[in-house]
Amino acid sequence: MTNSPPSAPPVETQALSKTYKLGFFMNRTVRALQGLDLRLEPGEVYGLLGPNGAGKSTTIKILMNLVRPSSGTARIFGLPPEDVATRRLVGFLPENPAPYEYLTGREFVRLAGQLLGLSGHELDQQVTRVLGLVELGKAEKLQIRRYSKGMVQRVALAQALVSRPKLLILDEPTSGLDPLGRRQMRDLILEERQRGTTILFCTHIIPDVEALCDRVAVLVGGKRVREGSVQSLLAQETPIMEAVFEGITSERMATLGVATQSVHELGGRLVVQVDDSKSQTLIGAVMAAGGRVVRLQAARFTLEDLFMSTLQQAGRATSVGGEISG
Amino acid sequence: MISFFAIIWNGFREARRNKVTVVVAAFALVALLCTSLITAVTVSTFDRVVTDFGLGTMSLILVFLAIFLSSGLLSREIERRTIFLIVSKPVSRSQFLIARLLGNMLTLGVMLLAMTAIFCLELWLLKLPITSTKLAAAGTLWFELLVLSSAGFLFSSFASQTVSALATSGLFFAGHLSGDIYALAHRSPSAGMKLLGEAVYYLLPNLERVNFRPLATYGLPVPPSAALSGIAYSVLYSVVLCVLATLIFERRDFR
Repeated sequence: MTNSPPSAPPVETQALSKTYKLGFFMNRTVRALQGLDLRLEPGEVYGLLGPNGAGKSTTIKILMNLVRPSSGTARIFGLPPEDVATRRLVGFLPENPAPYEYLTGREFVRLAGQLLGLSGHELDQQVTRVLGLVELGKAEKLQIRRYSKGMVQRVALAQALVSRPKLLILDEPTSGLDPLGRRQMRDLILEERQRGTTILFCTHIIPDVEALCDRVAVLVGGKRVREGSVQSLLAQETPIMEAVFEGITSERMATLGVATQSVHELGGRLVVQVDDSKSQTLIGAVMAAGGRVVRLQAARFTLEDLFMSTLQQAGRATSVGGEISG
Repeated sequence: MISFFAIIWNGFREARRNKVTVVVAAFALVALLCTSLITAVTVSTFDRVVTDFGLGTMSLILVFLAIFLSSGLLSREIERRTIFLIVSKPVSRSQFLIARLLGNMLTLGVMLLAMTAIFCLELWLLKLPITSTKLAAAGTLWFELLVLSSAGFLFSSFASQTVSALATSGLFFAGHLSGDIYALAHRSPSAGMKLLGEAVYYLLPNLERVNFRPLATYGLPVPPSAALSGIAYSVLYSVVLCVLATLIFERRDFR
């Protein structure tokens, strides 16, 4: 086993691009990835966020040697993905995993362990450990064809964890899970992080990113348009204040001469969103006009807001695929 | 090597749990047992008829199974995306491909052994001789299946199951007729036709080189040199097909 902690970054890509050629004559192309640079630090949870067709899964497939890049380089612990040795250090959970349905859960995880070079008592021990971890101990002797979607997701996660990987690559790990299953999946990811495992996962479930990721990259149209920690990305946005006023109408508010983001009437009160820099001016003007301040607080700017604004800036207000030509 | 043998064993286990394999195995058992009924309508050539029918049944059933198992294997793995969880492990694609082929050959080998045992039991019950020619004819059938399975794998590495099954079936018939194609082309007055005939002969597998069933039927001995050269030829031909399949498979994107 080559499970010793390597010094090279767990994942590094430089100018990574992938163009798929489609059609009978291969004359149509889809640019799934365009010059992607990524670098993961050891022990961090890194999220790839983006709409459908943003290039998240393509990035992961290149890292797992399922797809060859058109140009650029990808490295896992300093080695190219086609180097078999790198995959000994990596646990991979693909999107909509499809384990062999004719096997039982235990047989499948055992097969995964054998492919990773485990054998004998160590193999049995690890298989039992990970099946317990994903709470499939009781269902381990059932054929996978009898599993629910959530159970399939768990057995696929179990095979990814069977050799205690240094890097976990998870493609949409919580898709198809019920709220309880999602919570358990999150807890497992956090446990792995505490163990020091580097985790790269892609999703479009934003609360998962907010709950789990140290850093996040937003991909749109195969390009990285944002990167940083969740906090730093949100802090870059202009802070918005939300004020609630009484004793003033929306018509009167419009005549005060202070630019606002939004004004809503709610139960005889006005709920106003305004840039932080203008909030004091607005309060002064409202009070001078006979109004009263009921509440003033910072409006929460969520990662979802950031995601939507990023898409709008990139001219992609809807879910879209890569750039298609031909 | 653990991973290599794990994939071989998994291939065998998959075939064993496949309903088609089970149904084919049951059908083979019934068909072989029915061979004895043929003697009821045979006047004097019991041995010849039982051998011809028995070996023919084995050949047809196992060829069908070889085409079914090999032609859909890679394309099915890719379509169902089961391959994602295997190729992402420390296993090279060529290792995966060869191990999958050997898994199939193990299944076919076990089936062939079981069918040969039933065939021999029947011969013994009917008090007919179990000759070395009959055993050689049954044994070399495995090498014919090896060539067909390798071809099925090659087609399956880039085409759908239907296309690769059709192409492998075509290769089975052409492989048994390649000698005739060569002979026909040589009778042609045109030099171009002769050249074309020769090219087709060398390109197609000559499955008659491992077909000793006619000799077994007529009770003729199998020359050891013919058996050995036939085995060497089919192994070499399979290696070439596997190398081609590996080259294609190594370059494939699994989207």
